[in-house]
Amino acid sequence: MNISLGKHTLSLARREALWAYAFIAPWTIGFIIFTIGPMLASLFFSFTDYNIIDSPRWIGMTNYINLFHDELFWHALGVTFKFAAVALPLGLFFSYMIAVLLNSKIKGINIWRTVYFLPSVIAGVAVALLWGRIFDPKFGILNPFLEKIGIQGPGWLSDPDWAISALVIMSLWGVGGNVIIYLAGLQGVPTDLYDAAKVDGATGWQRFWYVTLPMTTPVIFYNLVLGLIGTFQYFTEVYVLTNGTGNPARSTLFYNLYLYQNAFKYFHMGYASTMAWVLFIIVLGLTLLIFRSSEIWVYYEGQIKGK
Amino acid sequence: MKNKLFKMLALFAMASIVLAACGGAAAPTEKVKVVIFVGMGTGTDPDQVDAQNKLAEKFNTTHDNIEIEFLIVPHEEYATRYLAMLSGGNAPQLVGPNGVSTVAEFFDTWEDVTPYIKADNLDLSDFYGPAVELNTYPDKNTGLPLGLYPSYLYYNKDLFDAAGLDYPTHDFDDKSWTMDKLREDAMLLTLDKNGKNATDPDFDSTNIVQYGYDDSWDTMRGTMADWGAENVGRPTTSDYKTAVANSPEWIQGLQWLSDGIWKDHFVGGADVQAGRDTTGVDPFGPGTTAMFYSHTWFLAEGLHGLSFAADIAPIPFNPKGNRIARIDADNFTIPKDAKNKQEAWEVMKWLTSPEVIVDVCRIYGCIPARKSVQAAFLEQLKTDYPGIDYDVIFKSIDYLDKPNNEEWIPEWGKIEDALNNGLSVVYSGQEKDAAKVLNDANAEVQKILDEYWATHK
Amino acid sequence: MKSPITPKTDQSRFTGIRAQSLLLKSVTTFILAAGAAIIMIPFLYLLSTSVKDRDQLRQSPPPLIPMAADTVNINGQDEPLYEVTMNGQVSKMALIKFRPGGKALFVDPAQPEQTYELLIADQKELRHVEIHFENYPDALKQMKFNKLLVNTLLVTFLGMAGMLFSCSLVAYGFSRFRAPWLNVLFILLLSTIMLPSQVRLIPTYVFFNKLGWVDTLLPLIVPQFFANAYDVFLLRQFFMTIPLELDDAAKIDGASPLQTLMYIIIPQARPALVSVAIFHFLYAWNDFYEPLIYLHSPDHWTLAVGLQTFNALYAVNTNYIMAASVVMILPPIILYFLAQKIFTQGVVFTGIKG
Repeated sequence: MNISLGKHTLSLARREALWAYAFIAPWTIGFIIFTIGPMLASLFFSFTDYNIIDSPRWIGMTNYINLFHDELFWHALGVTFKFAAVALPLGLFFSYMIAVLLNSKIKGINIWRTVYFLPSVIAGVAVALLWGRIFDPKFGILNPFLEKIGIQGPGWLSDPDWAISALVIMSLWGVGGNVIIYLAGLQGVPTDLYDAAKVDGATGWQRFWYVTLPMTTPVIFYNLVLGLIGTFQYFTEVYVLTNGTGNPARSTLFYNLYLYQNAFKYFHMGYASTMAWVLFIIVLGLTLLIFRSSEIWVYYEGQIKGK
Repeated sequence: MKNKLFKMLALFAMASIVLAACGGAAAPTEKVKVVIFVGMGTGTDPDQVDAQNKLAEKFNTTHDNIEIEFLIVPHEEYATRYLAMLSGGNAPQLVGPNGVSTVAEFFDTWEDVTPYIKADNLDLSDFYGPAVELNTYPDKNTGLPLGLYPSYLYYNKDLFDAAGLDYPTHDFDDKSWTMDKLREDAMLLTLDKNGKNATDPDFDSTNIVQYGYDDSWDTMRGTMADWGAENVGRPTTSDYKTAVANSPEWIQGLQWLSDGIWKDHFVGGADVQAGRDTTGVDPFGPGTTAMFYSHTWFLAEGLHGLSFAADIAPIPFNPKGNRIARIDADNFTIPKDAKNKQEAWEVMKWLTSPEVIVDVCRIYGCIPARKSVQAAFLEQLKTDYPGIDYDVIFKSIDYLDKPNNEEWIPEWGKIEDALNNGLSVVYSGQEKDAAKVLNDANAEVQKILDEYWATHK
Repeated sequence: MKSPITPKTDQSRFTGIRAQSLLLKSVTTFILAAGAAIIMIPFLYLLSTSVKDRDQLRQSPPPLIPMAADTVNINGQDEPLYEVTMNGQVSKMALIKFRPGGKALFVDPAQPEQTYELLIADQKELRHVEIHFENYPDALKQMKFNKLLVNTLLVTFLGMAGMLFSCSLVAYGFSRFRAPWLNVLFILLLSTIMLPSQVRLIPTYVFFNKLGWVDTLLPLIVPQFFANAYDVFLLRQFFMTIPLELDDAAKIDGASPLQTLMYIIIPQARPALVSVAIFHFLYAWNDFYEPLIYLHSPDHWTLAVGLQTFNALYAVNTNYIMAASVVMILPPIILYFLAQKIFTQGVVFTGIKG
């Protein structure tokens, strides 16, 4: 629809688009200055033999071909997938449930919230060292406790079969961080919806299932996407706990760890860049799938139709 | 709200100006700056940082044209920071203390100091021969030797007393001190919670409270070097083309270790080591290990505040009748891409000069690589670590491993990880057959070497 | 005519609801308490480790309450004290030497020449509670806490300001407008965090080095003023839960999009903005990956980098790391506690009444 206002014949749609670009400008400018250069550089490196010290040497698709023949690439991918498949759903579930509980109006709720938030505040180095001690199979804290209730604890971080489980437990300790987001989402659910539901005779469970859950799908979506991206790039904790080795017996050789080794230990920066872009494609693909699915299950009160 | 926005913008503008000014160049000085990158190895402990700064003061007040500054890099990030600095064009002038391993890791980035030595007609005879050898490679000399870390056994005298055993011999020529004898003694020194030792038929291997022997603070190459293979601590032949990680000696050594953990139980497995690494507890200090294989750099960490009497003894003879006591060595190196390399060379000479080398080595815990200061250093050792047999330290130098277990080979990092994975497999009990582990590892190493040589003709 | 029972029924139904809600609250509290106990146990060990000295760290298993052996000085050595039962008499003796067969030599501190060989397992080791509060000032002094605190506060708060400012604008653009290629740009925004940052590290460092920003706090602050994927995404999600009717009403009143953002959207999204601010604070407070690369002089380090100094090659000073971490937890926790007020507001009015 064209609005003719004398000299100004900007269409409404055009004007809206310009506003959109204007608001997004801070990001686009920053992207051009800080981000796109290094990103394109790493894409370039993925087609080269680059050891950081000498100039990159073009080798075309060789890195990509070698990657698919690399046993360790598949192994690292497997380790990462295994971890993500367990940690992501568990993390989403627990943080949401805890947020629901922390949303109640009971006395001292602020103190409870702070307690659950506490673990996510502690510096990574301290967390890794602390859990290393807890998981110590012989003289730590978890196994002696399990023994008291009659369970023979496994080797945890020293046992190739249990190392990932130990990392999952450690990651669940820090869900308090995600709880904040869910809390904010829960707080944003309009109370008159609850009132209307109560008037209609809905039980607590029904109110949860038909009001709370749908209205908070935007934040669930957020945590799902970022959780996916995050678990696939899991790195720091593993690096500290295994001294950058991915041991015992490479059972904790996460994708990003193998990437780091290639980049900064083996001087195969070209190969590492290849790994980075392959991961990028995988994560992008999964994210797009989730976005596509979101049209079915995510509800936005204020969504503009027809983008 | 708009006011808030403007306030924030103003704050940002002011802050960035202030920060840019603070972070900008210091007042121009005529002195050439030599930055010493510390963090590849030791030197990042707060006490060491203070000592290094005092050393810098000492140099700076006595030199008009050069100024040194120690750049402390937290150890986890030495690789990323060093490579970033190289790429960014601001390489440090000196890097160190650098062990043989980190020299190998960044081998291609170091300057060859042979021309500098020749130009100054420097006399290297005061340095220990082995120390100079460790820095000499076919195509370059990586730097003047700074210090050596010979290795030997730390042993817990109280535990030997409690078991009624004689201490390990301090006689370097006593041929009865073999790996077999070590194993025998270690089994008698391994106790379960009922006080039974590992030779006892009722020994409870699931409840061990004390271990006879530990060598967990080293790599696969290090642990295998002692067994006397033809290439000693190097998993390849001298032309770097063939992998020899599955040599009979290495298999024998790894099987001895594997049996020690899983059959005879006198060595702790991965579960025992697990908590130690992340809590900074060493195997020896808690008094739960009778014999611990380590180097002189462990003196500072391990011999302080002990609740029991301790001493040191030579490494046993291997089944071939030879003694190989692996060695670590530190030196400072100069990156090829650094500016002011001549001044860096001057600082390197100063740090390794007879007048200063003892102080420098005290900071890092190494034995000074100069023969002429041995007496003075011995006095320091006596004050710092009373009551141990200092002869063992100096005599062990002669038995070093050559080729060294840390020295450069192509794809050094990748092969290191492949071999250490094998070691981890044994320690975690996933595979206890040494031949299988080493054959698999060797195949992996050979593949890596083949790929390397395919692109480096 | 109303049944006389009716008032009673009303009352019982009222009590029924109250009882139900009381039950719900109790169950909730119980579950929260159980979960909190599990969460706090590792934290208690963190506290306990922070007040131990090197010898106490060596104890395994680590006791929750820091203990140390009672000792007495005999011939220049500190020997552990035991409660010894000998000939029916109980006394305090020091263990001076281990003997084979699980025995040891004990002496009475008053008469150290007379030794008794006894079975260790029959005696009781004497211990006392020993807490080293001085770990805190020691650790903070060694890591130069004060100086690093200033650096960290600068990075954190300036970054937070920049982030809130830019991310609000960008999220608004992505959520309230239609424009060609907007969806693609949003995916592009998200894709920036899908590429592992390790491979961008060197090129980014070279870039900042050319600008002369290495060894300053600028690389950590300035990019924050250009938005980032995490916070934009979150704010966009929240903005999209705010009903469009409010925007329309504002438009009818003649508000420009900027005014709509400032006066309608932002007030509605306060809980989200607070979350984002807290997250950024946490991230900047604890981040050591980027600062490690850009900050060279120890004087310019942030707290998270300073914490790494205790994690040296041969000596992991766990007690100092824990102590410093505890101190570092305080500012974020205080901030979070204060921010609770904004969380508990919660009431979002929707729709246009009337």
